[in-house]
Amino acid sequence: MNLKFKNKKITGILTVLPSKEVSFEDEMENYNFSKEQSAKLKKIMGYGSHRIVDENVCCSDLAVAGINYLIERGHLKKEEIDAIVMVTQTPDYIMPVTSILIQGKLDLKKDMYCVDVNQGCAGYLVGLHQAFMFLEQETVNKVVLVNADILTRKVSKKDRNSYPLVGDGASITIVEKDTTSPEIFSNIKVDGTNWDALMIPAGGMRLPISPETGVFQEDDKGNIRSKDNLVMKGDAVFNFVQTEVPPMINDLVTYAGVEMDTIDYFMFHQPNRFMLQKLADKMKVSYDRMPNNVVEHFGNASGVTIPTDITFNLGQKLCDNEYMVCLAGFGVGLTWSSMLIKMGKLDFCEMINY
Amino acid sequence: MTDINEKLAEILEVDTVNDSDVFTQFDEWDSLTSLSIIAMVDANYNTNISAEQLLSFTTVGDLKNYLNSKKS
Repeated sequence: MNLKFKNKKITGILTVLPSKEVSFEDEMENYNFSKEQSAKLKKIMGYGSHRIVDENVCCSDLAVAGINYLIERGHLKKEEIDAIVMVTQTPDYIMPVTSILIQGKLDLKKDMYCVDVNQGCAGYLVGLHQAFMFLEQETVNKVVLVNADILTRKVSKKDRNSYPLVGDGASITIVEKDTTSPEIFSNIKVDGTNWDALMIPAGGMRLPISPETGVFQEDDKGNIRSKDNLVMKGDAVFNFVQTEVPPMINDLVTYAGVEMDTIDYFMFHQPNRFMLQKLADKMKVSYDRMPNNVVEHFGNASGVTIPTDITFNLGQKLCDNEYMVCLAGFGVGLTWSSMLIKMGKLDFCEMINY
Repeated sequence: MTDINEKLAEILEVDTVNDSDVFTQFDEWDSLTSLSIIAMVDANYNTNISAEQLLSFTTVGDLKNYLNSKKS
């Protein structure tokens, strides 16, 4: 489905990452694989270290710290926040929604809209869509988009298939009305027939958590996890990304009426370096235009990888200059989405530690 | 399709690969080499194979036969 937005602008991006950094080497012994196999995996997939929250930290803590940081520095005023869109798969509670917890913790005005969206790897795109739609309202001038996930909690430490690549983190993106902004083009597709390519089997109403769901079992590849843990069909996800993403970007540039070479940066969701390199090769885009270093430095925090990519690799450049940027997210659902947006002259574009 | 043997040899970390070689018999065979082969097939032959499908190809020759059948 094609989507078009007018008079909207991203005015600032902040990434909040836990300060605790754990290296792949330190975790190798958790896995049922030889040192040689793990060294090879590290080299090919691009694993380095990932950021992990302390046990008592939840998504709302990261979000509140980030928003407070912006308020303290004068980038944001409490009373200006007309809506919070919170995108997470790891909410503080099943109920109530985390966006309203944030409203309460920050003592924001009651006259506002708060909504949580359960989305993963495409969560930055879906969150921006929601923020843009809120801005169609006369009463909404500024939306705070929060992306946050602490998935290391839900992935088994003995699952070499998934644990080395996940990380925790949050991002705060400010989205506002701007009558001078060029049109933003986007598209999105879903495929619920492949709902089980990437999922957490237990913990919902279909299969509540019980002592049985917590039993660890070894799969045919030597990974050990329980039904309470995230499970991913790596090959299916890989094939899905390589099959669906390049044509999606082709459709997007056709829809927007632009040429590929006018796009300065391809800031894509980063499952791991390997997948991004293969994608760049297939799309004939050079690696410097499609950075792939988020996972090796911070881990993959689902919807937070795109803002992390932007703040880490572009940072101050996005405050000083303007660029034509193509965003894309793809994963759980399955969901895949992309966006062509002129980004720049931001009020802030940085990352902080929690 | 002779160069696929070279590409497979590189992934499996051996000097040469013959059509009669059995995938699971290679020392380097694991889920990572499996994914590397899936990626190589996708990049070079524009064909998607699943990890399960790859396991159903016992030998290198079986994979090549499959790729040939997809080409024609």
